[in-house]
Amino acid sequence: MRTSIEGPRFPVPQHEALKTVNIPDNTKVTDPVLLNDLELEQIAMATLLIGRLLMESGARAEVVHEDCSIVAHGFGADHVDLRSGYASVDITVSRGDSTITRTMEVGPHGVDHRLSHALRDLVRRIQQGNLTPSEALAKATGLKRDTPHFVPWLVALAAGIACAAFGRLLGLDWPAFLPVAAAGAIGQAVRQVMLRRLVNVFVIAACVAFLSSSLAGLGASRAGSATVNVAMVASVLMLVPGVPAFNAQSDIMEGHPTLGTARGVCVIMLLTFIAIGVLLAQVLLGAQP
Amino acid sequence: MTVDGLHLLNQALFGAVAASGFGVLFNFGWRDLRWCAASGALALTARTIAQDAGWSLEAATFAAAAAVGCGGRLLRAHLGIANNALAVAGCIPMVPGFFAAQAIFGLFALTAPHPDNPSKLAVTTMEFALRVIFTAGAIGAGLSIVTHISRREVHD
Repeated sequence: MRTSIEGPRFPVPQHEALKTVNIPDNTKVTDPVLLNDLELEQIAMATLLIGRLLMESGARAEVVHEDCSIVAHGFGADHVDLRSGYASVDITVSRGDSTITRTMEVGPHGVDHRLSHALRDLVRRIQQGNLTPSEALAKATGLKRDTPHFVPWLVALAAGIACAAFGRLLGLDWPAFLPVAAAGAIGQAVRQVMLRRLVNVFVIAACVAFLSSSLAGLGASRAGSATVNVAMVASVLMLVPGVPAFNAQSDIMEGHPTLGTARGVCVIMLLTFIAIGVLLAQVLLGAQP
Repeated sequence: MTVDGLHLLNQALFGAVAASGFGVLFNFGWRDLRWCAASGALALTARTIAQDAGWSLEAATFAAAAAVGCGGRLLRAHLGIANNALAVAGCIPMVPGFFAAQAIFGLFALTAPHPDNPSKLAVTTMEFALRVIFTAGAIGAGLSIVTHISRREVHD
């Protein structure tokens, strides 16, 4: 396996990135060698798009490799090699005497269970031979665009309640419960706005941690809580990258150590930026860490 | 072993709420959110019982992650390929984010110009950092071991 590490990048607007995926038209080509190459090109690009969307929706490397292999073989490739990096995926597909290699950028890594599930259903349909590469590409692009999401206010509310519940597990007292839920919800709402504006994810983590932690600390102390410090940390727990941390471990265990290491480094960086935000809030409020 | 029923209920309830809240964040469907809640409740129940039995946090977390992984596997026919993702969602409330923050605060405090009692601070910081590493490792190992032993296909 070959895997490259690239540093965290500014997020790529998804609609812009999807526009770059083109499949050549092979209807006017009659030379059998060129026809084979064009078909391989179609197979490679459709496979790469599915692999890229899987990575962006939080799949671990082994799932990406396995599903890309199923897709390419399902379209008629004899041999497939995939290299999954943190910021790009490369594929080499062969059929007969022809071989081509293509690469595709990967956007920001997130977690989207419904998209991941839909993509894997698409992979099964391709395996059954029900789709051509062009149809698969169109369907994958459509899935990215049309997969339903919860409305932003509900996501913010759920994140706030999750933070408060997390806080209770850490010993948060009842007076601090509502302030933590409110601070977490406001922080998540601001995070969504900043993500839409394509702000760097580490900067978002520090800013949201500072905001949520300050609000939770102020609210908890006003409410007479005896666990203000726990409240200040609990309100930022929606930022902790739990799934990437698990994926990093799984990738290393399953033979993709460089991608796993890249994910691990990003997890540590995010935690550091979150801690900086909370620390600044504690300095502002005069709380002892 | 003595189990505090009220404490167990508190942990199970808030484990379920935290896991389903993160389920919304991770865009699980409405139908799957109840399974996120069940998964979180199972994880925190198992971990609390193990800790009440005198196990360390890390060992209890490993057992809880393995229990959630096994639960997902047992319901595989019903949950399909989502069983692994649901197990991960259930383990999210056990992620040692609080310890990680404390460890980083400790590092910041150690590098301050004149830290109070640096030896004690270093030991405390090291303790938090090790807890993060071992607890996160316990969750990953608990989930992975079950997955790898019981899977039928690679992307299962």
